[in-house]
Amino acid sequence: MNKLLDQIRENVTQTQVWKSIFRHGFPNNDANRALVMFSNVILHLHPVRVRRGALKIKFTWCLGGLTFFFFVMLAITGVFLMFYYVPDTRRAYNDIKDLGTVIYFGGLFRNLHRWSAHAMVFSVWMHMTRVFLTGSYKPPREFNWVVGVILLVVTLVMSWTGYLLPWDQLALWAVTVGSKMAEATPLVGNAGPFGPELGMTVNNDVRFVLLGGTVVGQSALLRFYVLHCLGLPLVMALFMAVHFWRIRKDGFSGPL
Amino acid sequence: MIPGGKKEGPQNPQQADVSRRRFFTLMGLGIGWGGFVAALGGTGVGALRYMFPNVLYEPPTVFKIGKPEDYGIGVDNKLKKERQIWVVRNERGMYVLVAICRHLGCTPNWFDDQKRFRCPCHGSIYDVTGNVVGGPAPRTLWRAAISLDPVDGQIVVNFNQRQDPDPKGTDEGLMVEEAGREVPPFFLKI
Amino acid sequence: MAEKETTLGTLPKRDGNSGGLAALIKKTAAEKMGPEDHVLVWPNLVYLELISMLVITAGLLFLSIISPAPLEELASSDTTPNPTKAPWYFLGLQELLVYFDPWLAGVVLPSLIIVGLVLLPYIDPNPRGKGYYTFSERKFAVLGFSFGLALWYILIVIGVWFRGLDWSWYWPWDNWHAHKPITGGLVDLEVILEKTLGLTQTPLVTLGRYAVTVANLLTWVFFLGYYAVGFGIPFLFMRKFYNSLGFVRYNLMMFLFLSMLGVPLKIFLRLLASIKYVLVTPWFKI
Repeated sequence: MNKLLDQIRENVTQTQVWKSIFRHGFPNNDANRALVMFSNVILHLHPVRVRRGALKIKFTWCLGGLTFFFFVMLAITGVFLMFYYVPDTRRAYNDIKDLGTVIYFGGLFRNLHRWSAHAMVFSVWMHMTRVFLTGSYKPPREFNWVVGVILLVVTLVMSWTGYLLPWDQLALWAVTVGSKMAEATPLVGNAGPFGPELGMTVNNDVRFVLLGGTVVGQSALLRFYVLHCLGLPLVMALFMAVHFWRIRKDGFSGPL
Repeated sequence: MIPGGKKEGPQNPQQADVSRRRFFTLMGLGIGWGGFVAALGGTGVGALRYMFPNVLYEPPTVFKIGKPEDYGIGVDNKLKKERQIWVVRNERGMYVLVAICRHLGCTPNWFDDQKRFRCPCHGSIYDVTGNVVGGPAPRTLWRAAISLDPVDGQIVVNFNQRQDPDPKGTDEGLMVEEAGREVPPFFLKI
Repeated sequence: MAEKETTLGTLPKRDGNSGGLAALIKKTAAEKMGPEDHVLVWPNLVYLELISMLVITAGLLFLSIISPAPLEELASSDTTPNPTKAPWYFLGLQELLVYFDPWLAGVVLPSLIIVGLVLLPYIDPNPRGKGYYTFSERKFAVLGFSFGLALWYILIVIGVWFRGLDWSWYWPWDNWHAHKPITGGLVDLEVILEKTLGLTQTPLVTLGRYAVTVANLLTWVFFLGYYAVGFGIPFLFMRKFYNSLGFVRYNLMMFLFLSMLGVPLKIFLRLLASIKYVLVTPWFKI
């Protein structure tokens, strides 16, 4: 029996197809374990070896990694939600209702998306607090801290744009309030300091371009949908790539 | 022409050549980079302008709300849902308050027992004339322009033409003198 | 990175691949240590990560099943739910909007927070406390940051648990279904000064829409005086502190720090003295 299994394994792993995908043997010796790390595009986020201290979680509490994990979770569940959701003010609310009532596991995907979003905001904030408390933003890692701040802001804006999509009362009023704040921006908002003096009206200021109109309506829903599902995730992915790249270049500040 | 040109040029022909080449290099670089920056800037401005729509599909902002005799003295709450306005009538005439909080745009509620408008979002409080008597609102409630239709005698409201005077801080709140507000087209004498 | 891992005897020597660049990279403290301090990422760290991902996924699934996402009524612009609360992470901002005008609470203060966070690594010249938890080696930095964090969290807690109908203050034991009576109105600082000091209301000068009265000028003195005193005290009496920062860092840091302290100050003025604005101009009010 064992001999048969060995034979099958031999036949599979010696094929041209297998070898074209996996460039090394099974990671049961140090050489192959190292090769796994730098021949796999996802795993090579890591170095090949770390200090023993890295296995202790009490320094980072895994907060950065968890934030990334929540982002991946949000991307996956988000794609699933997009199959049923139409950003139309007459349909959006019912589509969300359908998710919870007539689509198998629709509610589960929506709930997972929501909880991951809350968790991501929380973990990104905690991650920042941790990085501050361990002084990990100090030279040479200043710029990576700046990238992290940008990621925090993008995370919050993504949460905010996501809130409009169910088109319920919470959605409408959260965005009404938020867009009124935009209207009060100094210089470029029609209700902000020196805005009217510079010729800002409801038809040409920063709120108008944000909502694509003067009221929170169809154009606002579409804009927020595009930003939430496409624009901001792209920005996020770009800055995440820079963030991780810099961590690998600069190394960890702590006992890792 | 060539000898004349030589006379006018600098003494060292080698030097003239170098500076001429330098001039053309700089000019070429200037035109090249200038064009690049201009094209980039133009694209940026175009992209920004693209984001400002020219045609809007939004609800009408001029509408009729019935005849003056349909409204009694006091605040009429019935058009708040449909049109986002309150129709207010006093002894002198009537005006239309826009039901949008001046703080952050929520819809305040009218409390007839307290004679106050109160906003559920951040607790702004207005009196019946729209003056701010509490909470964070920075300005008084808008009044929309109203007029009488000469044909059927109905009140016409222009939702987008709004009265917005500078209020004065007093110890009772942000106040505007009522006499100055009761002027056409924001007031209908009856 | 791969080039530097050649200490593993079994690996082929690939030093040549980087064209000598690998030799130029300064080795970090971690890399100077011998291989005996190190473990391979596969399997040690990768498995740890896999396990934590599984645990978190299980947690998310559990939460999703026991606590479904809420869906309120269909959006309608004519009725605002009472009270309207933003998601919890924006409630600090919403609470701030009670005390400051929207341009300040909604735009300028959040922007200052972001700018302050971005500048943080550049205005903290203290080389100690890098890579480990410490309070004693960087007291001012930790206290300042914690103060800002605490302020933010307190505002969120107030917004989540202490604000009810009409955004009035409710204690947990209050009846949350009854409206609170209207409390006294709010007064501008310049009106209080006018009343208590008996100052004239006729303007000294009029700049366009801006009629500057004596009381108004006094509020400017208070406002600018707050920053002047704040900038001045460390500059005059804490030279070591000033010298450690230098001119540019000092001014950036003090501006952000004093603005942060000003937020609770204004909140206390509002709560204790019912002051609406400390500074009034036709264009902006603070």
